[in-house]
Formats: sequence, structure tokens, C-alpha cells
Amino acid sequence: MSQKQFVRLALLLVGLFILAACQPQTVEVTRVVTETEQVEVTRVVTETVTEQGEQVEVTRVVTEEVEVTAVPAAQQEVIFALYQEPQILNPYIATQTASGEVNGAMIEGLVGASAEGDYIPVLAQEVPSLANGLVTYDEAADVLTVTYNLKEGVMWSDGAPFTCDDVLFTYEAIMDPESGAVSTSGYDQITNMECSDELTAVVTYSPFYAPFTGLFGSIMPRHATGAPAEMQRWPYNWHPIGTGPFKMTEWVPGDHITLVKNENYREAPEKPYLDRLVIRITPSREVGMALIQTGEVDFVWDLIEAVVPDLEGKPGVAVHITPGIGTERLLLNMADPTIDATDDPANNPHPLLGDVRVRQAIEAAINKDEINDVLLFGAASVGTGELNIGWGGAGCELTPSTFDPEAAMALLDEAGFTDADGDGIRECNGCETAAAGTPMRLKIQTTTGNQLREQAEQLIIEYLADVGIDMFIENVPSAELFGSWASGAFRKHGMYDVLMYTTSPGIDPHSFMFDFFHSSRMPLEANEGSGTNYMRYLNADNDAALEAAGATPDIPTRQQLYCQVMQQVQQDVPMIYLYNRAEIHATSDKLTGYQINTWDNQTWDSENWQMSE
Amino acid sequence: MTRYIIRRLLQLIPIMFLISMIVFVLLQLAPGDPAAALEDNPNLTAEDRARFEERLGLNDPLHIKYLKWLGNTLQGNWGISVATKRPVLDEIGSRLPNTLRLMITAQVITLLIAIPIGIVSAVKQYSLFDHVSTTFAFMGQSIPVFWFGLMLIMIFSMTLKTADGGPLLPGGGMYDLRLYDEATAPFADRLRHMILPVAMLAMLGVGTYTRYTRGSMLEVLRQDYLRTARAKGQKERRVVLIHALKNAAIPIITILALDLPSVFGGAVFTETIFSWPGMGRLFIDAANRSDYDLLMGIVLMNAMLILIFNLIADVLYAVLDPRVRFD
Repeated sequence: MSQKQFVRLALLLVGLFILAACQPQTVEVTRVVTETEQVEVTRVVTETVTEQGEQVEVTRVVTEEVEVTAVPAAQQEVIFALYQEPQILNPYIATQTASGEVNGAMIEGLVGASAEGDYIPVLAQEVPSLANGLVTYDEAADVLTVTYNLKEGVMWSDGAPFTCDDVLFTYEAIMDPESGAVSTSGYDQITNMECSDELTAVVTYSPFYAPFTGLFGSIMPRHATGAPAEMQRWPYNWHPIGTGPFKMTEWVPGDHITLVKNENYREAPEKPYLDRLVIRITPSREVGMALIQTGEVDFVWDLIEAVVPDLEGKPGVAVHITPGIGTERLLLNMADPTIDATDDPANNPHPLLGDVRVRQAIEAAINKDEINDVLLFGAASVGTGELNIGWGGAGCELTPSTFDPEAAMALLDEAGFTDADGDGIRECNGCETAAAGTPMRLKIQTTTGNQLREQAEQLIIEYLADVGIDMFIENVPSAELFGSWASGAFRKHGMYDVLMYTTSPGIDPHSFMFDFFHSSRMPLEANEGSGTNYMRYLNADNDAALEAAGATPDIPTRQQLYCQVMQQVQQDVPMIYLYNRAEIHATSDKLTGYQINTWDNQTWDSENWQMSE
Repeated sequence: MTRYIIRRLLQLIPIMFLISMIVFVLLQLAPGDPAAALEDNPNLTAEDRARFEERLGLNDPLHIKYLKWLGNTLQGNWGISVATKRPVLDEIGSRLPNTLRLMITAQVITLLIAIPIGIVSAVKQYSLFDHVSTTFAFMGQSIPVFWFGLMLIMIFSMTLKTADGGPLLPGGGMYDLRLYDEATAPFADRLRHMILPVAMLAMLGVGTYTRYTRGSMLEVLRQDYLRTARAKGQKERRVVLIHALKNAAIPIITILALDLPSVFGGAVFTETIFSWPGMGRLFIDAANRSDYDLLMGIVLMNAMLILIFNLIADVLYAVLDPRVRFD
């Protein structure tokens, strides 16, 4: 290579470097001028004058009137660290919780959820109920009518008025077969929807649909979206227009989303107090935790129990903890795991877990208090069932299981599992569900890369070893564990022994309870793998109770029925509830007005947030 | 030569086909699918999930899926990201400039540091300088990158502070979000945010390139023509920097050409540790959520770049070394 060529190559590289470095253009900052004032100023001026052909330096004091443009008062802002990047902000397409955190500050629904888990009115004047007469149920015709009176004078962030037509549009968009809304459940029970006037929406359901209050949690504007069939391609999806306290100005993928005060918010100009709410995308929780300690962010979203001792007491950091809705549980497969998706678990029981005494013994052998104390630093609470918080389980007292290895061993002896060969592992000697001599070996599976779950597995293995059950681990990536029926996921097809993960019911627990515990909800070839009764749990009383709960608008009756189901589940042990996760977020200690809410996005009350000095 | 290049370019077509087929099948065979993300949401029922799968065609047989994808891609439609619903090319386009800015800077700084060190080490073989630089080169090659990155953050962002109590150097991001947005962030602030990630990348590269330069120079310095050059009365400086370096540069340039696709592919560890929104993180995120079309787009772009830069390396070799002829 000649010297010239070499120089050229070098220049090319340097050129590329400069090009790349300069790529985002630097633009001069133009400040918003809020006020202009005339101010008298005095200053010392030094100038050079030519006097009689001689240059002389003169210093003098001048007083003059100048116009100054006021520098705006310090901006109130919060930087919110999110370790998951929202992929799309359309509330009916998004599947991640992170999306909700962002659009929670911009998009509102007719009703929302309070920190106590009660429904609260947002765009509606009040929450419809039988008591206030906005809900009527014609039992003979099986028709439920729900009326929403909308708040007056609400505007979209672009200044257009919010009316009942937008509510109607939201319904149309969800139900359009081409729109690709992720969930249509509930909306597909609506038989008629109309606007009796600009601010009154009347929704008719038939047959009766119990969890109706949870619907219409986000309203989309007809004028700023597009045709329902085009929903997947609406520009709205990445730049939503809402009625909430903030609106979006910028989204730099992978880096941040900037939200600013919505001047058209119904409580403006007092609220929101913040001028800007910047969502900063961090690659992990750990990065967010480092950034809140250096003061680079003011809010770190979704922390785990184990980090609480690290963060508590750090200067400038406030840790917020409340009981969460998620419950970490073991799912016990009651059907033969060698059969692909059996529809008859009663006659094809799991060789070990098919016997209720074995399931009860496993629960009695596990020291849930120790798991909570050692692994979760006492920040969680011992699990008892699905409805530990929220109105679905109100008044339902469930006692935690007792840690009692002696009782566990007695139950196993009684079920015909004894250790005849003295190797420390029990085997079937006269049991009902397995061939004689079958050792008690069970596989436990959870998601890989989750340290807390891996530690919990270790403890559980030790507890079970103490009563003569040999458990071994075979963890898989979460995408594999939670895979679809079509992809052959073993959870869907019932080919596992014990699974461990967290899930939780929504505010209205009905669909969750029904899908988990009703016998018709076992994933089968016949129903194309729909349903989440992965334990293949059969109980006719529960089936009847769940059906009854779904057919009445009377909340106390429903609560009582769900409680009955949970009590039955406690006896039958298709699942072992280990601990109720805590909901944990950390903020700067200067942030006021924020209330932690496990039932909604944490931005639910962002209009009240303030940064104190 | 021209015929050789044309032949190689034509060979790219079947190779790309083959790569696309293998990658597609591997991705589809990997456990999990985009619907797994729905699992986190308690308000979604099994029917909702079934509809989601149906709409994305997740239940189609493998060959149908591939043919659908191939048909779209051949028409220039790289598909839509399952997660963001945005076109794959938009997704890549939004990240590529960030990655290029980081990687090119790091690459240039690496070469500016590594080549002089390598030359001096070779010329003064077994000197103190050589020993020290060799030790550091080995350290650079063997220290785990993520550990080094975390150490940088711990020292420069968490321990060392500026006068007003802020971190001495920012531990992540592309610019200060409290002060600027994409349009107003000044060059100086962007540069400050690049210091730590570039240091992490350069520390990796410097070790490698120092070793290459030193080895290559040592080989050339022993050759007869350099003695001839000195005998002619050439100054030592000129002998080393012009006569020797020219030939020693040939293997280095080949390695550089093979290294360049990574400039586009990004650095997964660095981007993750320093919250840099580049290609590496895009790829990891896409893989974690089984975003098939996006993964295909990124993998094929990288495959294409590797093939092209291989070709460039081969051609450069012939250009730089007249003894090499392809025809």
C-alpha cells in the first residue's frame, strides 16, 4: 500500500468517527420566556476613547434601564427508572406491565383502582353499582345494564373534548376482529352499547357478566387514532393522546421517554405539580438501584424483597413496601405426567401427587416462615391462597399451613409410602396411585436466572429430604415454561411434577379463579389448550361455586363463594402457596404525593407528585 | 480481479439463503414464543392468548412460516416487530446510529493507542516497556468485561464525586436527561457520557491489537530488506514507520476488516452495563421475547456484513500484497 493510500484510509476512518460523533446535531437551547421586566442596573464600564489623538482608557459607572428575560423557575421533574422498555403504549395491544407504567401517566379510564384495591371513579362521575342505581339486572331476561355518567369539561391533551363517543369508539376498536386487541374478555359479553347523550354511556351485557366494573380501564380518542381495523398501525400506539396529567413529547428508543405537563388536564393549572416526568430505560434493576443512589434518577420501579436491606437507610432514598397481589406458589400436577394432556385425571392420577395425603404431606413439610424470613428478609408474608388482599377475599379467613414434619411423615406412612430399603427415600409399599417400589422422586421446575427462586428450591429440597422425598431441579427459561400449547410447552400439556412461579388475580378475581380451579379449564386437545387449570384439579363443589359466583351481581355472595373455593383448595392442595410477594419501589426522599398501589400502575397518582427542595 | 469480486458477490446469494433458512429454523425450534409474554398479565384469559397466537400465525407449520417470511423479505418487507409493532428496519434504524457512534469511537481510540504501543514493543523487544505493555495487554484480554465495566461505574460514578455531589462521570445513558433532550443535548455532554463505555471497549481492544501489532512487526523487522534500507542510509525512524510498518500492517488490516462487522452489531455487555440503547441490547431484548422478525433482521444484517467484510478483507489482501493474485 502506498503512503497515499494509507493516509486516505486513515482519513476515511477519522471522517467516519467525526460523522458518527456529530450525528445528533447540537442545537442552541432556546429557553421559554415566561416574563419580561424592565430593570435598572448599575455597572462599571471600561472603554478606550481617543482623546486629542491619544488613546486613553476610561472607567465609569453607568446606570441604565435594560430589559431582562426571566429565567423560568427551576423545573419540577422526576426521572423514573424502568428496567423494561415499553414496546408499545396502546393499552389494548401492550402486554407488558412496563407499558402501563408509562401510559398510566397519560391515559385514563372510566374507573381505576385505589391503593386499597377498591374501584374509584376516574372519567366517570361515580363507580356504577347496584347501590347507586347505575347498575340494573333483569334476572328474568338475564340482562345487565350499566350506566356511566361521564365527568364534564374533560379534554384530551390536544384540546379536543372528551365525550361518550370516545368510550363507544374504544369498545368498537377492541371488538373489531381486525384490530388485534390482546384481550376481548368481558367486552365480548356486551350485547349493546350506546350513548344516550354526550356524557352518558349505557352498556348492556347478556348473559350476566360479573366482573364488569373492571372494563373500560383506558379510553382512546376517536379523533386522534384511526380506523379500528388499522389499530396495529396507529401512530397513537407510540404517541398516545390521553386525558391524563401528562403528555408525551419525545421517545428515544432504548433510552428514555419524555412526558411533560398536560396543559389541558382537568385539574390544570394546579395539577400536575411536575413539569416533566422522564421515563429512563435502564437495562436492569441493578442499574436503576445504582442510579438512585447517585441521584441520577428519582424513582426505581419494581424491586425485589432481597434488595430492601441494601437500599433502606441509604441517604436520599425512600423505600416503599406494601403487600403485593402476586403469590409465589407450587403447582402440583395431579394427573399422570407421562400422558399428554389427559382429560381424565381421576383415572390417570399422578403416581405420587395423585394422592391428596402426599400433597398435604408436602405442604406440611415446607417451612414457609423460614423461607420468608431467610430469603425475603421478612418483607413478604406467608401464603394461604389467592385472595390474600383485595375485595374478592374480604372477610375470608384462611389459616396458614402448619410446618410439621412429623405429621407429614405420618401422612406419607398412611398413604403407603415408606422407606423399606433404608436408603432415606420412601417408595411405594402399598400405595394407591403408583406401582409397588416406585421411589418418591419429584422434579421441580421454575424459571432460570431467578436467584430467589433457585434459593427457595434449595430449601424446599432440604425440607422434603427430611421427610423422605427426593426432589430434583430442572429449571427452564421463562419463555419455555410459559410457552404455548402449540409450542408443546410441558406446563400446558401437563407433563411435569411440580412447578414454581408467581401469578395473581386481577382486581376482580373471577376469571382468574374460574380459569385456575374449574374442571372445564384444563388445557386439552379439545379446547386447543386454552385454560389454566394446569394442576388438572377436579372438584365438583368448586365447579358449582365458581359457576354461581359468575352469575350474580351481589358482591357479598360472590365473596362467600370464592372463600368456599379457597377453603376447599386448602384441603385438596392442588397448589401450595409459599409466600405473598411484596410490592416494592424506591423513590428519592424528596418525592412527595406518591402513594404505592399494588392494584394499578405506580404512575396512577402522578398528578400529585412533587419534588420538595 | 473484477471477475473474482463479481463471482464472490454472486456466491453471497445462495449463502444468504442458506443462512436465513438455518437461522429461521433454529429460532423457531428454540423453546418459547412471543405469546409467553402474555403470561405476566393476570387480566388476560386463555382465549385471549389463543387469539393472539392465531393472529401472529404461531400455529402455522414451520415451512409455511418460512415461506411467508421469505416472500415478504424478498419484497423488501422485513416484517414487523411482534412486540413493538414497528417495522423491523425502523427498529434497527433507531439503534444503529447509537451503536456506530460508540463502536467507531472505541475502535479508533483502540487503534490509536494499540498500534504505537505495539510498534515500540516490537522495536524494543524485551525492554522494560515491552514487558509492561505485554503484561497490560494480557490483562486487557483476560479481565472479564462486565466486571471491568462495573468497576468503572463503582469508581467513577459512585465513589468519585464532582464538587456539587454528582457523579464524576455518568454511569449510563447518552446524555443528561435532567438538562437536555434529544435535540438540545450538547456535544460536550454526549462526549462525557461516552467516556466510560468507550474506556471499557477500548480496554478490550487495546490488548488484542497491541499483541497483533507487536507480533507482526517482530516478524517484519527480521527481514533482509530492512537491512538493505538501513544500508542505503535511511533513517531508523523511516525504516520502522514506513518500510517495516507497511508490510506489518497487512495482517492487521485484515483483522480489522474482519472485526468491523461488530461495529454494526454492537457490544452486548457494554451496552447493557452502561444503558446504551444500541444494537447489542436490541438483539438481546428481541431474543428474550422471541421477537422472530426482529431477530431475523438483526442476524441477517450481521451475517451480510460479515460476508461482505470477509470479501473486503480478501480483496484488500490482494491490493496490499502484490504477491497475492486471485485470478
